[in-house]
Amino acid sequence: MSRKKIPRSKGASAPATNGPRPARPGTVRPGSEAPPNGPPQSGRPSLGGGGDFYDVAFKVMLVGDSGVGKTCLLVRFKDGAFLAGTFISTVGIDFRNKILDVDGMKVKLQMWDTAGQERFRSVTHAYYRDAHALLLLYDVTNKASFDNIQDWLSEIQEHAQRNVVLMLLGNKVDSSHEREVKREDGEKLAKEYGLPFMETSAKTGLNVDLAFTAIAKELKQRTTKTPNEPRFRLHDYVEREGRGGSCCRL
Amino acid sequence: MDPARAKVRRREDAVSAAARERIPRVDPYGFERPEDFDYASYEEFFSTYLVILTRRAIKWSKLLTGNTTVQKSMKVKRYIRKGVPLEHRARVWMGMSGAQAQMEQNPGYYHRLLQGERDDSLEEAILTDMNRTFPDNVKFRKTSDPCLQNTLYNVLLAYGHHNQGVGYCQGMNFIAGYLILITKNEEESFWLLDALVGRILPDYYSPAMLGLKTDQEVLGEMVRMKIPAVADLLEGYGVPWTLVVSRWFICLFIDILPVETVLRIWDCLFNEGSKIIFRVALTLIKQHQAFILEASSFADVCDKFKQITKGDFVTECHTFMQKIFSEPGSLPMATISKLRESCRAKLVAQG
Repeated sequence: MSRKKIPRSKGASAPATNGPRPARPGTVRPGSEAPPNGPPQSGRPSLGGGGDFYDVAFKVMLVGDSGVGKTCLLVRFKDGAFLAGTFISTVGIDFRNKILDVDGMKVKLQMWDTAGQERFRSVTHAYYRDAHALLLLYDVTNKASFDNIQDWLSEIQEHAQRNVVLMLLGNKVDSSHEREVKREDGEKLAKEYGLPFMETSAKTGLNVDLAFTAIAKELKQRTTKTPNEPRFRLHDYVEREGRGGSCCRL
Repeated sequence: MDPARAKVRRREDAVSAAARERIPRVDPYGFERPEDFDYASYEEFFSTYLVILTRRAIKWSKLLTGNTTVQKSMKVKRYIRKGVPLEHRARVWMGMSGAQAQMEQNPGYYHRLLQGERDDSLEEAILTDMNRTFPDNVKFRKTSDPCLQNTLYNVLLAYGHHNQGVGYCQGMNFIAGYLILITKNEEESFWLLDALVGRILPDYYSPAMLGLKTDQEVLGEMVRMKIPAVADLLEGYGVPWTLVVSRWFICLFIDILPVETVLRIWDCLFNEGSKIIFRVALTLIKQHQAFILEASSFADVCDKFKQITKGDFVTECHTFMQKIFSEPGSLPMATISKLRESCRAKLVAQG
């Protein structure tokens, strides 16, 4: 990968300035993007791509087995839509942006969607370390996708930043297919690894906004928290706000 | 809006409404035209392209009369670059890629593959993508009869059995899908897929995907040589090549460029090999250099790379194909091989 050629220390400066050959001096706006790792820029209103104003930007990556609904979840969050049977398999890596208002601050999430097939991991895991947050998905109607979560976690451990914000999501709780993974199993696994956990449905929208908002709140707080501001607790927030939606199914 | 502009706008609306009436909602290959499809400019393009198509059809008929096989020659190469008529496409692809010869030398092989030992994980991986391959194509709908999903499943399953080192890689579903739409023949699609995956594309789809990663870097090096400002831009914003071009390579421009343009590219790909992919990529980048250089952030760069694959420049496939042989300049195979060697070595060293 080309970026591997660029030697970069931890907490490197913004992409705009870290290349040995800045593209066009004078046109580059430091602070328009979060750095690949380390603390993102904050508190500096800036003009991002496409003329959208935002205060701070973060990279969020969606990972998990092929077909667990990463693209659907992303599109549901971004456009509020679920169009059954209109999605094509994600090949390689793709991304979409969304700016959201978090307690009066404009937070831009740059959301990376990845191919789930195992061989693509070698293409995508190089970008884990650029991610501020990872959403790890499985499909509650597909046991194998749940069994593979441990694999994904070791992949993440190996390649992502140590302080990456990580959340486990059991998707497709709406599905008419028989459920193969109980909610309690997801909860148990999440507890074991100390991860916030929710069950989601890209189809009905259950907990989708919440998942991304929770991530955005956590990331924002890490950047801008003042000493006397109460600490945002991701786990508590998710536990409090997350809706069961499927508690009676199994 | 001032009255004169309003008048122009009304006229434009009327023209596009009329074009919308005349042009079918589903294209000849079964793809539904997108909501935002520009009917007016497509009609304008197609009226000139139709003349070219007719002329090429006559030339090809003459060339093929009395010949059962097409031999490679300078004349055939020139003809192919100008586009293979749809009715001859399958035959020419089969002949030029060596798929025809393979099929003839291995009678019954394809059908034996289908009856091969079952591999659950292969079947599962292929099945996962069935509903996610061309949901916008009426022939791939579950409800259509015959449903090409079954054909697609067979071709991919047979290929997975045939080439166990590759098995099934996402992206191959789209490629096989196109082959099925063009050949309308399961076995021919299989042999053409084998020509692409096994011979024409160097190791794109095997689990390590080394050939793919290599070619992405090779493109980066070519851009550095030929369009250095763009290479600087990507490096400056830390945009990895794989992020903007991996789909170009893996899907061979399917779902990136318009269908007709993809088929014209594939005409040359089957005859001239994988360097065509570099030609297309370099042309897209070089043509839109100024536009790309307007990017002012990481995200912006990525957006620009999505936008340069849309619009009249890529829809007008005939001029586009002329451009790919002039715009990037010379691209000797020796240079490509050397770059592949050095990029590959670098990747291997990085682990």
